[in-house]
Amino acid sequence: MTNMNEVASQPGFGTSPHASGVDLGQVPAKMTARDVNFHYGEFHALKNIAMDVPEKQVTAIIGPSGCGKSTLLRIFNRIYAIYPNLRASGEIILDGENILDPKYSLNRLRSKVGMVFQKPVPFPMTIFENVAYGIRHHEKLSRSEMENRVEQALRGAALWDEVKDKLKQSALGLSGGQQQRLCIARGIALKPEVLLLDEPTSALDPIATSRIEQLVEELKRDFTIVIVTHNMQQAARCSDMTAFMYMGELIEFDRTEKIFTKPDKKQTEDYITGRFG
Amino acid sequence: MSASLYTKRRIKNIVAMVLSVAATGVGLLFLAWILWETLSQGVAALKPQLFTKITAYREEGGLANAMVGSLILNLLGILIATPIGVAAGTWLAEYSRRSRLGPTIRFLNDILLSAPSIVLGLFVYTIVVLPSKYLSNGDITFSGIAGGVALALIALPVIVRTTDEMLRLVPGTLREAALSLGVPQWKLTTQILIRAARSGIVTGVLLALARISGETAPLLFTAFGNNFMTLNPLDKMPSLPQVIYEYTKDPSPDINTLAWAGAFVLTMFVLALSLIARFAFRSKVSHD
Repeated sequence: MTNMNEVASQPGFGTSPHASGVDLGQVPAKMTARDVNFHYGEFHALKNIAMDVPEKQVTAIIGPSGCGKSTLLRIFNRIYAIYPNLRASGEIILDGENILDPKYSLNRLRSKVGMVFQKPVPFPMTIFENVAYGIRHHEKLSRSEMENRVEQALRGAALWDEVKDKLKQSALGLSGGQQQRLCIARGIALKPEVLLLDEPTSALDPIATSRIEQLVEELKRDFTIVIVTHNMQQAARCSDMTAFMYMGELIEFDRTEKIFTKPDKKQTEDYITGRFG
Repeated sequence: MSASLYTKRRIKNIVAMVLSVAATGVGLLFLAWILWETLSQGVAALKPQLFTKITAYREEGGLANAMVGSLILNLLGILIATPIGVAAGTWLAEYSRRSRLGPTIRFLNDILLSAPSIVLGLFVYTIVVLPSKYLSNGDITFSGIAGGVALALIALPVIVRTTDEMLRLVPGTLREAALSLGVPQWKLTTQILIRAARSGIVTGVLLALARISGETAPLLFTAFGNNFMTLNPLDKMPSLPQVIYEYTKDPSPDINTLAWAGAFVLTMFVLALSLIARFAFRSKVSHD
């Protein structure tokens, strides 16, 4: 399951008209959602979602509040499973395997798919420990290897220069923007393949926001990124593909410049031009 | 029109201010009064011998054994109640989400929280003191251990409740963040959540300590009291509140004065604990 043609030839793919036939160019799909439905108890939150997340590109999910964009993101690493009464059905294929299969190990999934949340949530420990904590759970490293990995992760998150002299200090003393980059460092330290960003800048000021956006641009060299955002300019600025969702349905999924210049669907156009939302 | 509306609001505001300041004043007045009364009545006995001599010397003695006994009993109570209470509170906050047992236990815990302490004393008398006769040739043995168990039963629901509440205050996103790194639930709970809620939990333990350090009733049939100094928790053990209780009933005015001095020391101890709970741990919340 590595390229679009193979995906399209799979039986069952394209049952939803929206995602089928989207041209990802030469880029293979890293994750593919097929017929994904999601229920919060009785509430049908996602309806027959089908989409391909292209490898080492940035895919943005936009849409009005309550449209299901965060819900969709939270299925990609099955973090929803920690709450009772939530059900997902359908398939999400990651490297040829269905991650929604209960037999797919959560441990393995979460080492492959990292997540950064809306509010920065550093752990109540030192900056170093925040990054080392997750690594330690998955790998046994010597002290110097660990120091290298932590430095690498902090450099990757463009935070190293600001914190290299205070690695032993509490992470709670960092500013909001620094804390969010620390959370990104913590996520990439596990060397995941996919990074999910759930409105990562909505709690940050404009300067911190632009730093995170630059960072996203750099991170896509190594990671497949899916970003949920309320901010349409942000989606336009830093994504390659954009998915527009409304009322639990994937209305349109296409190259970002197409979505923002000549979308196929009226609803998409109305949303991006601010006529409803 | 708007001017008269404004005047009305100002009057209402002034009335509300006066009432609330008066209410605060009444509360503080009684606190100051209690402190002043215990100090002025007990000042004659606030001498070094209060802290060095034991109650066996009566008027010539002090309350040293009662203070030491109280410290041991409180320590025993807290040592028994803290691990159980923190574990139970953790279960309630983190693991009972999918079961109906959680709300039931929370409700039962609240009942224990408001149970009369004398009843808890009698309960411990029945389950600890009475059975101990099988280990001691038929004598009924009151002991520091029994007193500690009784105090633990009072501290326990306080600790369960604060642990539960403090953990539930930890934002859910912290749990999601840790779980999304693949960290298992037990590591998340012991290494991240307990740490995040630590200062609140410690405050709860200190408040429980303040609560039990003033208890008399549960000690009457358990620790029983002792006029001599003892460090052995298997002995009958004296305590400050119980000595105060007995000394206030005494016909001798000098003994009454000792009771006042004891009351003053006890009040200051509880006050100090509350202040530590309030300030020493508050600053840590933001930096640690």
